[in-house]
Amino acid sequence: MTKTIKNYLDGEWVASSASDFMPVHDPATCELLANCPDSTPADVDAAVSAAKAAFDEWRSTPVLVRAQYMHHFKVMVEDNFEKVSRIVVREHGKTMDEARGEVRRAIESIDFAMSVPVLMRSDGLEDISSGIDETTVRQPAGVFAAITPFNFPLMVPLWFLPTAITCGNTFILKPSPQTPLSTEYLFEMLDELDLPEGVVNLVNGGVPSATALMEHPDVTGVSFVGSSAVAKIIYETCTRNGKRVQAQGGAKNYIAVMPDANIEASVSNILGAAYGCAGQRCLAAAVAVGVGDAYDQLKDELAKRVAALKVGYGLDETTQMGTVISDAAAERIESMIGQSEGEGAEVVVDGRNFSVDGYEQGSWVGPTLIADVQPNTTMANEEVFGPVLALMKADTFEEAVNIVNQSRYGNAASIFTNNGKYAREFKYSVNAGNIGVNIGVAAPSASFPFGGQKDSFFGDLHGQGMDSIEFYTERKIVIERWV
Amino acid sequence: MASLNTFGAILSHAVEIESRLSAYFTDIGEAEKAKAADKRRKKLERVRRENVVEITLEPIEGLSADDYALDLNDGSAAGQAAAAQVAARFYADVAPKINVRAAQRALERCGKEHAR
Repeated sequence: MTKTIKNYLDGEWVASSASDFMPVHDPATCELLANCPDSTPADVDAAVSAAKAAFDEWRSTPVLVRAQYMHHFKVMVEDNFEKVSRIVVREHGKTMDEARGEVRRAIESIDFAMSVPVLMRSDGLEDISSGIDETTVRQPAGVFAAITPFNFPLMVPLWFLPTAITCGNTFILKPSPQTPLSTEYLFEMLDELDLPEGVVNLVNGGVPSATALMEHPDVTGVSFVGSSAVAKIIYETCTRNGKRVQAQGGAKNYIAVMPDANIEASVSNILGAAYGCAGQRCLAAAVAVGVGDAYDQLKDELAKRVAALKVGYGLDETTQMGTVISDAAAERIESMIGQSEGEGAEVVVDGRNFSVDGYEQGSWVGPTLIADVQPNTTMANEEVFGPVLALMKADTFEEAVNIVNQSRYGNAASIFTNNGKYAREFKYSVNAGNIGVNIGVAAPSASFPFGGQKDSFFGDLHGQGMDSIEFYTERKIVIERWV
Repeated sequence: MASLNTFGAILSHAVEIESRLSAYFTDIGEAEKAKAADKRRKKLERVRRENVVEITLEPIEGLSADDYALDLNDGSAAGQAAAAQVAARFYADVAPKINVRAAQRALERCGKEHAR
């Protein structure tokens, strides 16, 4: 019998009061893995009540003790590394390497949380006036929530949870209903940690539970990662309800390839950047802009190597690209490829109507390369979130920078070059929050904030790094005199 | 033909080689060599876990597991030397294909141990 996922509230696994359930499939085999409840506002209210009740005791738990929980948590994730990687593959469809990479980055976030005892320290000055001392104290701010996407079902929740609770807050996670199994396993590990009841809570579901979290008066702040359209709604709803919010949205990431770049090495990295996770990541390379002579070289080399990528089931170690998340996603992506073709672009490698032997029912889109993409067309501007790389041509470096900066998104942009001047100019003038130089996926490590500008981010403080310490703490200024 | 075309495929094949060698040496009563193979297996599992760098995962070309088939039916000194030679050649070939220096170093060291 297919299992129905439970919520984790106040230290216990509890059945949701939902009447609607969403199927969770392995997108390669189509096996029904579980049913995910569409939790109700009542479920959310129970989670918030538990988190609120736990806050006072948890915030007064010494920060070194809170950090010690993260040491134990890290050991648990390391010990179960292969198991959790396999869960990620099964519910998402990515490859084992990609899943292991995701779990590794999740662990980096736990590592970062261990440094909270240092990062929460503040400053002060004696004798700011005669006999008066002034100090700053960071305090936890209350109940925080995160609403996380399907594409990194383990890593993105851990961008937030470890730092939030180590800072002394309590926490509610609402993962994507398409990929709730990684977080279910995550909470099984957290349950073994024996944290005080109510410190961490899990509510599975879709829009009703997300809305209830954003509107609940006892939730202090919300973190979100997803599409730009939803990120904007999240930002507006949370701010209207007086909450802190960090809402990371979608992207259209450009890569400029200069004629002086090592084309073969650049293409190796661009392949990973464009087709890794089947292009379903907000840092995926979406458009490669070949400058001058680089365009034709890039097109030839990519055409050869994109067609050679091995697509298959993620649990097969030799698979280089897995499925997309669902049939609906595959249909949307294929439709965008068709639209681009209709707009005059050349589909050099066509991933439509793709199938893999033994997994014919899977949600497949093959790696796709589209050349001669023009500005102001679908493929130049709209996020595909699939294994599609567009090629554009620029005559000069300046033209390439203009193409990049015309995007309404500003998540990431990269340049491949051996020329320091181009690299410097690119870093200086491109409007994107994460810049790569000879790196196609400009993903900041856990100790740096995850950038994002324009329609790719709504909020003030980003996820990760010192921004996360600011987001999860309240600063209090103490001015004192003793006479 | 089993292609060694990803970071994970290479590291998992290395883990398999050392597991098989450990069993082989145990069977022929070479306890020290079995222990050394098992130590390498554990190290390679750790390397696979700790050195997978999501942002630099790239396709790997030109390697096949079929080129490194171990014959573990011969327990003689010559048979042991042949197996070590295959393992050393495997590590020498795969290490340069890995773009993470720490993982590359671990593979090189395994190769050196087999080449001794």
